[in-house]
Amino acid sequence: MKLQLNIKDALFTIITLLLLLFLNIWMQDMFDTKTLIPMIFVLGVFLISLKTQGYFWGITASLLSVLAVNYAFTYPYYAFDLISPECVASALVMLIVAILTGTLTTQIKHQEKIKAETEKEHMRANLLRAVSHDLRTPLTTIYGSCSAVMENYDSLSKEQQLKLLGEMQKDSEWLIRMVENLLSVTRIDDGKVQLTKSPTVLEELIDAVLIKFRKRCPNQTVEVEIPEEFISIPMDAMLIEQVLINILENAVDHATGMTELKLSVTTKDSFALFCISDNGCGISADRIDKIFTGYFDRDTSPADGSRSNMGIGLTVCAAIIKAHGGEIHAYNNSSGGASFSFSLKLES
Amino acid sequence: MNNNRYKILVIEDENNIRSFAKAILEANDYQVLTAETCGNGIMMFSSHRPDLVLLDLGLPDKDGLEFIRFLRDRQEVVPILVLSARTNEADKIEALDLGANDYITKPFGTGELLARVRAALRVSRYNGSMLASDGKFTLHDLVIDYDRRIITIAGEEIKLTQTEYNILVLLARHTGKVLTYATIIREVWGPSDDGGVKKLQVNMANLRKKLGEKPGDNRYIINELGVGYRICEETH
Repeated sequence: MKLQLNIKDALFTIITLLLLLFLNIWMQDMFDTKTLIPMIFVLGVFLISLKTQGYFWGITASLLSVLAVNYAFTYPYYAFDLISPECVASALVMLIVAILTGTLTTQIKHQEKIKAETEKEHMRANLLRAVSHDLRTPLTTIYGSCSAVMENYDSLSKEQQLKLLGEMQKDSEWLIRMVENLLSVTRIDDGKVQLTKSPTVLEELIDAVLIKFRKRCPNQTVEVEIPEEFISIPMDAMLIEQVLINILENAVDHATGMTELKLSVTTKDSFALFCISDNGCGISADRIDKIFTGYFDRDTSPADGSRSNMGIGLTVCAAIIKAHGGEIHAYNNSSGGASFSFSLKLES
Repeated sequence: MNNNRYKILVIEDENNIRSFAKAILEANDYQVLTAETCGNGIMMFSSHRPDLVLLDLGLPDKDGLEFIRFLRDRQEVVPILVLSARTNEADKIEALDLGANDYITKPFGTGELLARVRAALRVSRYNGSMLASDGKFTLHDLVIDYDRRIITIAGEEIKLTQTEYNILVLLARHTGKVLTYATIIREVWGPSDDGGVKKLQVNMANLRKKLGEKPGDNRYIINELGVGYRICEETH
């Protein structure tokens, strides 16, 4: 990598200098003056210092420029005269330009890096704040209900106790899902961790998703439409399973008035297109643009302490699909309700 | 209390998980022994001869996989049910290939735990085969007649290819046990076959279609995504 960069820089330096040299020779003939020549070389040194890594090429270019001016454009022509004070002075000027430009560029590059890191940190801080907030609510319920049952074991009726325990169970389940999502997103976020893609049979994937989904939402039926033929898609099955479950659950949680939930897969060219659509209330216009990034962008948590509406789930979906090299979209159906669709590349 | 209760050894270092597993199992009339470490578990196993082992993989002294290896090296056939916080398929596959019967991923609910325990114990009761005295295997309305090599569902014969029949019989012989892709390929096609998982997946897709199974509604063969397949009496 480093060697490649250096070769690129060297080529850039040589080509720029040669171009300027010819430009100078041409200008000398055109305008019959030499005042422009050093200026053009200074420009060259500046450009080279700006575009190359470190100081090396800038300094090399400045020395070469001095030599070129000295050799070709000052008396005696086409011979070196390196001891004249004029030559030493112009060499110094060129060197200073090269070094100063180099320093400036390095500084700018450094600052850009810091800025990018700050942004990433900011995003992480947002995520952490949002997550901590979201975790606090169910934890409060669990802790409070536990204490209530334990401290009032004899005075609470059996029904009351069961109700409290049931709420604890529900909130724990929510926490489990939250942690699963966080684990997925950190797995991808590292960047280093490669997805463990293996050929997955579409039918088996859908089967696993439906069984898991039924466990969580036993009252919601899902209408499934997949191609009859054998389809195998390379994917990290655990993560794609999570994407499908997140989208299905999102529909159950947010598509008010939904009576039908449909999961269909079609193949087109070398892609499999997954589509989950409902006939609920649809997605409001102000939400639809940020639906996959909302969790990170959220600067403030909802003041009423309610669960994050468009929770972390969809953000995780987008990250997983992106890591698979696919695309995910959300849109409102013309016939009412919302659809989520994403594509995955089929086995080649 | 009857003395013929099944004995279950729970090897788990987390105090809370141990105590809640013990509570559920005892409430369902199992006798429960516990161990916190792998070494302790081996000792308990040797002196009490439990009917089933619930094994955590992340133990403080040794990896739980060592326990499986230790038992299977000594030809012990006791069913082992792995409790694992790891969601990575590779770990599950390793445990299964070493001889674990099944796995259950933390966090799990009581219903799930009990279903797996029942399934694993049923296998050991039949001593690894559900072969009834008349040479037939029955699962719901599916019957495998080993002598005549015929499969019927609700009395109706299902035509299977040789390979499909072999896969079904292999799974039936190990009812309740998850068989990994590698195991099935080795048993059905032989150790030298390099046809790979795809051949198995295609055959399995055809087999399931012939058995009339639909995604999300499998009555006979349960698919463990990325790991393998199993036949289970209880669908969950």
